[in-house]
Amino acid sequence: MRLTRLVPIVLLTLTSLSLTTNAERVKFDLPAGPGRDLVYGHCQTCHDLQSVVDSAGIRKGAWDAVLDNMKGFGLRITEDQRARILDYLGSYMGPNPPPTDGSSETVTAAEVSGKDVFNNTCIACHMEDGKGKPGEFPPLAGNTDLFLSPEFPALVVLNGIEGPLSVEGHDFNNVMPSFDFLSDSEIAAVLTYVRSNWGNDTLPGASTDHLTSDDIKAIRSKPMTATAVHESRAKLLK
Amino acid sequence: MTKAWTSNHLSRRSFGKLAGAAGLAFGASPGRFTAALADAPPDSAAIIMGKASGLTVHNAALGVMETPLAMLRKHDHTPKDILFNRLHFPHEGDAAWYATTAVPERPDWSIRIDGLVQRPRTVTLDDLAKMEQVKRVSVLQCAGNGRSYYAGKEKVAGGQWKNGGMGNVEWEGVPLRPFLESQKVLPGDGAHWLTAEGWDQPATPEGSDFAKSYHLADHALDNAILALKMNGEPIPATNGGPVRLIIPGYYGNMNVKFVTTLLFESQQSPSAFQSVGYRMPLSPVEPGQFEANDYTIYNSRPTYGHQIKSVIFSPLPEDKPKSGAIEITGVAFNDGTAKITSVEASADGGKTWQSADIKPPESPWAWYHWTAKAQLTAGNNVLMCRATDALGRTQPMDGLARWNPRGYEWNGVDRVEITA
Repeated sequence: MRLTRLVPIVLLTLTSLSLTTNAERVKFDLPAGPGRDLVYGHCQTCHDLQSVVDSAGIRKGAWDAVLDNMKGFGLRITEDQRARILDYLGSYMGPNPPPTDGSSETVTAAEVSGKDVFNNTCIACHMEDGKGKPGEFPPLAGNTDLFLSPEFPALVVLNGIEGPLSVEGHDFNNVMPSFDFLSDSEIAAVLTYVRSNWGNDTLPGASTDHLTSDDIKAIRSKPMTATAVHESRAKLLK
Repeated sequence: MTKAWTSNHLSRRSFGKLAGAAGLAFGASPGRFTAALADAPPDSAAIIMGKASGLTVHNAALGVMETPLAMLRKHDHTPKDILFNRLHFPHEGDAAWYATTAVPERPDWSIRIDGLVQRPRTVTLDDLAKMEQVKRVSVLQCAGNGRSYYAGKEKVAGGQWKNGGMGNVEWEGVPLRPFLESQKVLPGDGAHWLTAEGWDQPATPEGSDFAKSYHLADHALDNAILALKMNGEPIPATNGGPVRLIIPGYYGNMNVKFVTTLLFESQQSPSAFQSVGYRMPLSPVEPGQFEANDYTIYNSRPTYGHQIKSVIFSPLPEDKPKSGAIEITGVAFNDGTAKITSVEASADGGKTWQSADIKPPESPWAWYHWTAKAQLTAGNNVLMCRATDALGRTQPMDGLARWNPRGYEWNGVDRVEITA
């Protein structure tokens, strides 16, 4: 119950670190196909993709029911996204999956829309207009971390981040999984979109010198743990 | 006693193999979808601190894991490090505190009793600890235990549990009904349901909070306790400490973890976990005719008490028994409302049955140990077992008759294929 949770939170921030550290999120590869990125982006907010993998083979009608149920458990997607996710699951995770040739739904850099990437992926947690959710998911609107360094947001997208954060005076302590399934051009585009909108272009340190897909490729070549990304943030803040 | 039942259908494990060959099961279709796991598979010990290595993981982010029977059978009371686990929301961030078998450090825990009452009350953990405590040994079993076997008819979505989503656990705590009486909250005439809510929270604001409701006239509440201890120590965090509502004989999800709130209400909770999830259809349903989103509070019921069930613990295929005289051993349990009067075992796929010796259980809700003599022939043997209670309730020979799109309450006659 939400109200009664408020009291325990104070205590657990003192005790949780001594009790346990989280295992890094486990990554599952799903067969390449249209809509896969939506599954990656939305279904891991609450559970990892073993739930999808272990259910492979069920009928499209059963997947349809799963999506309805997941809505009740907190899945937030548009009707269009729902239809695309259902097409993917019903086909690639259905009783007779089509053969995949290993190629994904690659789009050329010129076609990538940062807004689309945000709405298909990031919005699941960071919410409409990047407003975030108090206590769980930090806002991207007005978030000065966006310009902590030229590379920092790309590190977060590629590797995830895990550990307590304070953003605009609000505390967060959650795990963001890696979104490295996004292509270099998709990450470059969504970072440009997020850094340029919701007033972020007027934040201290804001720059219009955006990362290119080549920049993302270089950052991707040096993987880090989500905890290490959190540590690098602490260093940059000093 | 010897009985002859014909067994003209495939065993559920043969069904599983066929389903795999047809590409229904993940990983059985080379070239299509084999490399699902990008990282090394997570070990249970790395997911929930204090858990043993080698439990079967169904979902790391939700801490879902079951106990291989070769580990489960070593203990009469299932220890916390191997007991199956199931959380409903990610054990991350604010919720990381319960991803451990350690005792939670939450001395200021309290429970609010509210709703349709004249005098809402808050009771602290200290208050509870000072009250009279009683023990309840009960099987704790996930409602989805055995879900994978429904694939013999049609695979259902979700974690593909075998039989290891269960354990025999000693709980200790404050009897629920006397406790509620003693608080003198004075429920109104319109209060028909008791709703228990846990501390855990969904990952998104749109998600349903976890809550379960029980009709106040439910006799199972007569035996319910607000448990403070599990197997003699304060309840481990991942098992629902510091306070868990234990209703002996009820499926795991009905035993709300991390209890923060008890509400007297006129209706059952609107939480999706009560109104849609963890439910069984009231009448038989078929794949494609009734889907997992067709459940309502009118055409289905919550997963209340355990369906009568028996499971073979020995021999298991990994025991590699030799042909000749053997003992088949296992456990049996039900919802505790009637004695289990008979367990029968077969070593020939159900052609002949032997009556097993049953050891009296520790409590009506605990598991019964049983032993039956049998002969293994060289080659393939199909072992089976079936329990019956004093109310005449028994296990269906074909558990698929109870197929349901959420894959709950599997209690078909257990089958183990052994090569001697």
